[in-house]
Amino acid sequence: MFKYVLKRLLYFVPTFIVISLITFMLGQMAPGDPVELKLKGGMGGSANGQSSEKMAGEKAYMELSEKLGKNLPAFYFSITSAAYPDTLYKIPRQNERKNLDRLISMYGNWNNVSDYYKNAKLLEQKLFQFSNTNLDEASYEKLKALRDNNSELFINYDKVKIGESLKTIQAAAIHTTTIKTDSTHTKTIQPFIFALPEVNNLVASYTKMNNEINTSNNYVPAFHWFGLNNQYHRWLFGDVPWFGKNDNPSKVSKGFFRGDFGNSILDNRPVASILIEAVKLTLLINFFEFFFIYIIAIPLGVSLAVKKGTSYDRIVTTLNFMLYSLPAFWIATMCIIFFTNPYYGEALNLFPDHGIGKTGADFGFWEKAVDRAYHLILPMFCMLLGAFAFISRMMRGSMLNVIRQDYIRTAFAKGLEPRKVFWKHAFRNSLIPIITMFASFLPAMISGAVIIEYIFTIPAMGRISYESVVARNFPVLFTILMFAAILTMLGNLLADILYGFVDPRISLTKKA
Amino acid sequence: MATNNTSNNTSREISTQADQSYWAIVKRQFKKNKLAVWSLRIIIFIITVGLLADFLANDKPLYCSYKGNTYFPVLKEYAVDMRLSKWPEELNNVVWKDLKYDAVIFAPIPYAPEKTDDKNNDYKSPMGSQEIVSTRWRHWLGTDQLGRDLLSGLIHGTRIAMLVGVVSMSIASVIGILLGSLAGYYGDEKLKISLARLILNIIGVPLALFYAFNTRGYILEDALADSFGSFCISFLISFFLFLILMLIPNIITIGLKKIAFLDKKVTIPVDILISRMIEVIMSIPTLLLILSICAIVSKPSIMLIMVIIGLTGWTGIAKLIRGELLKVRSLEFIEAAQSLGYSEARILFKHAIPNSLTPVLISIAFGVAGAILAESSLSFLGIGTQADVITWGKLLSSAREYAPAWWLAIFPGFAIFVTVTIFNFVGEGLTDAIDPRLKQ
Repeated sequence: MFKYVLKRLLYFVPTFIVISLITFMLGQMAPGDPVELKLKGGMGGSANGQSSEKMAGEKAYMELSEKLGKNLPAFYFSITSAAYPDTLYKIPRQNERKNLDRLISMYGNWNNVSDYYKNAKLLEQKLFQFSNTNLDEASYEKLKALRDNNSELFINYDKVKIGESLKTIQAAAIHTTTIKTDSTHTKTIQPFIFALPEVNNLVASYTKMNNEINTSNNYVPAFHWFGLNNQYHRWLFGDVPWFGKNDNPSKVSKGFFRGDFGNSILDNRPVASILIEAVKLTLLINFFEFFFIYIIAIPLGVSLAVKKGTSYDRIVTTLNFMLYSLPAFWIATMCIIFFTNPYYGEALNLFPDHGIGKTGADFGFWEKAVDRAYHLILPMFCMLLGAFAFISRMMRGSMLNVIRQDYIRTAFAKGLEPRKVFWKHAFRNSLIPIITMFASFLPAMISGAVIIEYIFTIPAMGRISYESVVARNFPVLFTILMFAAILTMLGNLLADILYGFVDPRISLTKKA
Repeated sequence: MATNNTSNNTSREISTQADQSYWAIVKRQFKKNKLAVWSLRIIIFIITVGLLADFLANDKPLYCSYKGNTYFPVLKEYAVDMRLSKWPEELNNVVWKDLKYDAVIFAPIPYAPEKTDDKNNDYKSPMGSQEIVSTRWRHWLGTDQLGRDLLSGLIHGTRIAMLVGVVSMSIASVIGILLGSLAGYYGDEKLKISLARLILNIIGVPLALFYAFNTRGYILEDALADSFGSFCISFLISFFLFLILMLIPNIITIGLKKIAFLDKKVTIPVDILISRMIEVIMSIPTLLLILSICAIVSKPSIMLIMVIIGLTGWTGIAKLIRGELLKVRSLEFIEAAQSLGYSEARILFKHAIPNSLTPVLISIAFGVAGAILAESSLSFLGIGTQADVITWGKLLSSAREYAPAWWLAIFPGFAIFVTVTIFNFVGEGLTDAIDPRLKQ
């Protein structure tokens, strides 16, 4: 037994790795720069701001990026074309990195691309060091054009667009204007001539990049090894040391295995604290749901099996089957429409249509419990139907299987009354598959109720996952996905172990 | 009389049974299940409705004679959509209903699902009064807030539902049958390949992936940004490139085999590998996975959802066919084929798989029901829907905006329910007919 469980747990490892890789890949493919999202589009990209503001934004970005571990390579290794440098991940901003990636694939020469990028950065610095006092309207416009077009360079790979931006920059750099030196004299100056060397360098490096297109390197694969210090490893294991003291304040992540699932993008709360409330509610709902399902569905299943072949059995079994195909969200919508508002008569306006009732410390425990029950009647009814039909079908099938066995015939033959045979001999053994079903319901608790919780606005796991999809709150969404997958694996294991316990005929060690 | 009849029937059955194929037996067993047979008939009806949706509900006339010219506007629209033809000047962007025709035949439901009827907007009940010229123009199942005809929406939603079933289950069947049969036929010990082939394939796969997908990465990305259809084409090109590239190491193997050391046979535990893969896929909750993917993709479309449902839904089929092939591979006819010296591929694809396909039908029937349910749930949640595609789930969710519109809640939901139920009934009937032991 112990050996079997150990073996199964070992099987978890590859499964877990694959699932974590899928989740991680989804996270990497997620649109939007997570750092940018967290900064709430703050000071980052604005080209109009003061240079100090811009620098502060840049600093905040770098800090947050380090805190989130986004300055690390994505995975232990990478397979790219030889044209790519292995240090591309060090470019902090995601959109700039992606743009460079694209440029490399177009021009195939990292040295030239990086020169072009560096020159654009130098120009940006120069432009922001320039203090923009004492400028007339036209010059101010030109400065804005300079800055805007310069930042356009970082996110564009299209030749036409880059060409236009460069042209505007060149024109603006040699822009001339007349200013008054005193009341009588005017002077013609070129306010942005200081940036001309940078502009020329930039244009030169762009021309060079264009002249030396060499994409042959794109067809040579290259393997880069990054070691343990990468985003995937950090996500799972964290970067705070497991033993001993953490002496580096910039290391904050404890990693998935130590219960640190990251922070929500929306309000920066830890994912764990968001989920814990929802988990409590989900458990509460499911506890009562199981209770009702088993208490009604099992006797029904047994009675159907006992009366097999009668019209009662046929009709109820068919109805049951239809109930099983009934879309829960249809029933829920109908319940909301007919039973939660007065349009169809006051008599039908029986239930509240959303929420879980009173919360907070102002109300007593019983008051809250009654109100919560009242709010949960309709949603629980809708969630119950499908599972109810499923379990009673299972129970009927399992009971029929048992009744066919020889020992039941023996029990009848020795003259036991039918009720005793059914309930004492057959019932117990037919419960086996039903008990193990319980285990496979574990994961369904999370994903099964998404729609019902959405319709009735119940803040349990399903609703949270829906909301995190809509808000693209990936840390929350992927944590739920990971847990649902882990729960499924655990549920399968639990089912197998339970099977072994309730039915000693099944030898786990041999089966494995 | 009655007993006479049945005894006649049985004797006839017995006499013909001997020369009946497996299929004929399955067919006869299936026909005994009245509910399943009727469900199958309804399915055929629903498919017909889906195929003919444009002719059943359309704001364009089926035939009309206008200003002396004869048109078939519904047919014409297909041509226009395929850019083979153009609307004539006088019919471009017209309100078809208001034209003065010489002669005209409208579709049975003279409304298009996405066109609004301004006179009958703001939730017109099917029972109440509607502002219409005659009963011919009645909205039989009412309208929604914008005045869109519900019945027309339901008819066109049928097409989407059927498409979801067909597309997702085709993908699932191809993957499931291929992987399941490999696992079942070869098991853990039967696939033996030479060391050279193994090593070259291990090196070849990453390289082929690199050339097929990595170097074409931006082509794929641009195609995805363009439309899902063009992405599929680009992806297929990449995939075939991958297959062609994979031929190279396998051709080199032929030469290397002459070296005795490299010709040493290695056993590949295909079954373990594929079974583990199935387990991994099954442990990811499909709905959550689809939700996550829809959150990531910038323009989720109904096609994408169908593909994801297909890509995650093959495990049941694979398991079934694996079990079936485990049985089939030890049967005499396979042995016979082997002793005739047929190649493994020929035995697998021409003999083993065709003889184990029937149980897959069960899985497909239930799978279609599941796929339709999954898609309507998603469009009910408003995830992955396109503005111009009317689906049952979307119609049902519009009921939540205005409670007095009971027709918006009842009819679309009923359509989903009936479709899902009949597919489940057919699946159940097939289970009874093909393998009663599978039934609990």
